[in-house]
Amino acid sequence: MNSLTRLLTIGAFVLAFAGFATVEWVARRDGSRVPTLADIGGFVMRYRSGRLPVGRIAVYGFWLWLGWHLFAR
Amino acid sequence: MIDQPPQAAAPAARTWARPLVVLPALGACALVGALFPSFSKRSTFAVLLFGGLLIWLGSSGRLPRRPVPVRLTGAATWWLVPTLFLAIVELVNFLFGSTYQHPTLSVLLDPVLDRYPARAAAYFAWLAGMWGLARR
Repeated sequence: MNSLTRLLTIGAFVLAFAGFATVEWVARRDGSRVPTLADIGGFVMRYRSGRLPVGRIAVYGFWLWLGWHLFAR
Repeated sequence: MIDQPPQAAAPAARTWARPLVVLPALGACALVGALFPSFSKRSTFAVLLFGGLLIWLGSSGRLPRRPVPVRLTGAATWWLVPTLFLAIVELVNFLFGSTYQHPTLSVLLDPVLDRYPARAAAYFAWLAGMWGLARR
């Protein structure tokens, strides 16, 4: 049986993902100053500390962890 | 502002890196990877193999890169709204113990990902995301 807190939590997650979809939709409109999520990812991946591609390592690491967390753990 | 270094202009998109080739390949990988249940060595191996292969491709310079912004405008902060909201909801439910009444995202997704079609679709989305990152 679904409790109120569970329904509220699910609603909050839906709202969060609707937020992501809305910002992405705004970003893809002509002349938008909002970068797309892919632009954000690419920008973060550019970050380097000396010769070490810290941003690339962090983003790859996060995505690999996400896959492991969802499909393997 | 978009940075377009000469090499980013794509060294004549390699045949194998085109969507017509990549998408079916990722789909095949997803169909195989989704066969393995969570908490198995095979599922861990598959995630590391497929993810590692894409990371290696992305790091090796063998892929034509897509243009990447040199800097972001202030409007980029809009992304913080759903990001922080998601993080707060996830953190609160985690602190409540990630129970049935207070589920975290992974607890909600587990029963969905137990079904093969949904698992394969999610696996494909994950691999496609990794492919997108490898191209940046």
